Amino acid sequence: MSSRFEFLGNATLGQYIPRESWFHKRDPRARLISFLLIFISIIFSPGWWGLFLGLIFVGFIYLLASLPLQNTWLGIKRALPFILILAFLQILFHQTGEIDEVLWKIIGIEITRSSLTSAGLLIARFIILIALLNGFVMSLSASQVTTAIYHILKPFEGLGFPVNDLTMVVQITMRYIPLVAQLAEKTTKAQAARGADWEQRGFNPIKQAKRVIPLIVPLIVNSLKAAETMALAMESRGFNAAHKRSSFHILRLTWNDFVLLLISILFSLIILFSGRVF
Amino acid sequence: MTNLISIHNLHYRPNSFPPDKPDILKGIDLEIEKGSFTAIIGRNGSGKTTLIKHINGLLSPSKGKVNVAGLDTSEIKNHPELRKMVGMVFQNPADQIVASTVEEDIAFGLENLNLPPEEIHERVNKQLAEAELLREAKRPPHLLSGGQIQRLALAGVLARRPEIILFDEPTSMLDPITRRAFLDRLSNLHNHGMTIIYITQHMEEAFLAEKVVVINDGKIKLVGKPEEIFQKERILYEIGLDIPESAKFAQLFRELGWDIPENIFTPNTLLETLPTYQKTKAPKKTSPSQESSRQPIIKVENVHYTYLAGTPLAKNALTGADLTVNRGVIHGLAGTNGSGKSTLLQHLNGIYRPNEGSVIVENLDVGDLKTPLIEIVKKVGLVFQNPETQFFEVFVGDEIAFGPKQFGFDDIRVRVKKAMALVGLDFEAFKDRRLETLSGGEKRKVALASTLILDQDILLFDEPTAGMDPQSRDELLSLFTQLQEEGKTILIASHRLDEIAQITVDLSFMKSGQVLDTSPTRKLLFDNKLLLGAGLCPPLIVRIVEKLIENGWPLCDCQCFTPDKLISFLKDLPQ
Repeated sequence: MSSRFEFLGNATLGQYIPRESWFHKRDPRARLISFLLIFISIIFSPGWWGLFLGLIFVGFIYLLASLPLQNTWLGIKRALPFILILAFLQILFHQTGEIDEVLWKIIGIEITRSSLTSAGLLIARFIILIALLNGFVMSLSASQVTTAIYHILKPFEGLGFPVNDLTMVVQITMRYIPLVAQLAEKTTKAQAARGADWEQRGFNPIKQAKRVIPLIVPLIVNSLKAAETMALAMESRGFNAAHKRSSFHILRLTWNDFVLLLISILFSLIILFSGRVF
Repeated sequence: MTNLISIHNLHYRPNSFPPDKPDILKGIDLEIEKGSFTAIIGRNGSGKTTLIKHINGLLSPSKGKVNVAGLDTSEIKNHPELRKMVGMVFQNPADQIVASTVEEDIAFGLENLNLPPEEIHERVNKQLAEAELLREAKRPPHLLSGGQIQRLALAGVLARRPEIILFDEPTSMLDPITRRAFLDRLSNLHNHGMTIIYITQHMEEAFLAEKVVVINDGKIKLVGKPEEIFQKERILYEIGLDIPESAKFAQLFRELGWDIPENIFTPNTLLETLPTYQKTKAPKKTSPSQESSRQPIIKVENVHYTYLAGTPLAKNALTGADLTVNRGVIHGLAGTNGSGKSTLLQHLNGIYRPNEGSVIVENLDVGDLKTPLIEIVKKVGLVFQNPETQFFEVFVGDEIAFGPKQFGFDDIRVRVKKAMALVGLDFEAFKDRRLETLSGGEKRKVALASTLILDQDILLFDEPTAGMDPQSRDELLSLFTQLQEEGKTILIASHRLDEIAQITVDLSFMKSGQVLDTSPTRKLLFDNKLLLGAGLCPPLIVRIVEKLIENGWPLCDCQCFTPDKLISFLKDLPQ
């Protein structure tokens, strides 16, 4: 079993798997944009057909990038209780103007066919989105995301847009997520070693919340302290002194990247308008 | 040679200081020549770090002037030039890593110089090769080992091609072998003309320098060549510092009437001057020491543990570790960074439950999830590495009282008082102080007190002396002995074999997630093959005893791992 103190394992970011696949070799800008397109289209997809196409696209990326399914399955399992609660609420409070076929009636609550359909859609949508997000973090590293953002925004620098500062903010955030996870691990271990009850089992939200409060305060304080040291280190490495910064990564779009973009655009359009196509 | 850095009457106090608090720096005058190697030594909290932060303009003097190559460091317009010229390696190397992969982190400083991408790539690759990080180029920095992250921090600084590098205790977290490699690299840089300013707690390291600056309470106490400085041992002792171990032994031997020349500061020169034994008559046999009743209190069998199991970052931390610790002894656990010491310790107080294998601690089955953590914690206390970074309260008293509050003890005040007395903190003076206002040494004491307050029978310490000055270290070692005499079982994980040799009875070596051997300390320390295999260096006293045996001295059954014991044993021998 894994330890309850390993927060790093729960941090989805930073789980990048370096591979030499066709997908991994694509320009990070192309990958980032295609993920965004599919993400948006799955969220707004009107029905089963759209979701089905979304699922195909996600499967296609998993295959192309030869990504393992294990993490994704874990992610889905972890989120499932919340998704089911949402689906349940959807059934309870579903209302349509149309006349609906009532399937069952339990303690005065009518369960209609359309409410079941929308709950099902909700579950499917969430599961596909989780799979997509996991595929995203496994095939795009934090640094590739930063570079992609930097180069996508670069043209706007002339308009006075603080591209450098913004990219730095993204980069440091990426660096901070694992740091905060490690900090949380250290602090909870220190508390547990001195008798704090981090092992309480069963479902008790009040107790759980109570337990988290003494963690959050030192986490914020310690993150601020770490931020202060990091700011000093950045300064000593010439960050503030720079009037203009250059970039380590050189990006070049190839025909393959356009192919990926084209496929993504096509898929997302079909998903969005699938209600009319099928 | 010209003076590259000149510091004149430097005073510093933070703006936030209340008026009754004294300045941190109180009139420092110092000249540093181009291409020189200067070591700065001083107790924790004496102002060493504050001093070097003035050299690259991270801090600005409250009074006085700091000039680097003619640039006034307090003027912001000079900062770009200054940062180009001066690099700094911080105490905790992980603090200065900015990017999310190794190669990007090296590139960070170069992007700030606005170099073209081609040149950045060239310089990054060169540094990756020199730091032996080519294979790690795309890994996230938080998954590197201690030695690797130290090399990365230095590579990021070197890539900018500075003329001066400031080091703030860079080796305090490194094990002996990694440390030696780091120091070799440093000497190499110096030989190529780099100006180096180096803060250290290791008196031996100060010998690499041409000039040693001793700082005490914000003032310069002594400046001179290392040999000159370490002859003034009285002054050094007075301000809580030490002389190199070899020099200390040389002196003790001289007092015995041995013919040991002056100016011995390194182990090798000392070993060469040790005399041969003149008598051939067998000495009186020492009575074999009473073996204490050996009753196991901790039993670990075949424990496996994988960190971040089931994720792409999974890492085997323990691969079949076995360990037996006897009741009422001080037991050492030695091994390099990353050998699994910390992970093993955390299995003993239930923070980790084994993936495979069994852990029994005083009749409690840690591997059984039905054994509540809190029951284990009642018996076993653990002081983590760098515990002062894990504080979660605001005031000293509250931090120390956290444990007893969890257990609902009603005599909390009495307990806090007692625990603070144990570590040498005055209850009235410290209980209401804010933790962040304490010095490094005081924080460490608070951290110790906050575990000792629970009065557990078994105490585990993870690298307890890392980053401590010599005096605080000695105080801590005698505290361990005191606790053991009170009947506690103590397990100390460390890569400092000299300390382990001084106080432990039993010793285990760890390597790559396994315990290589567990034996009485006096036996294991002479096993050079095993020692080197575990990546450790024999402590000086062991090398001296070995050399003396080689020179014919009848020391075979001497259990002398402290200087005092060795000397008194030698005194008793027929001369």
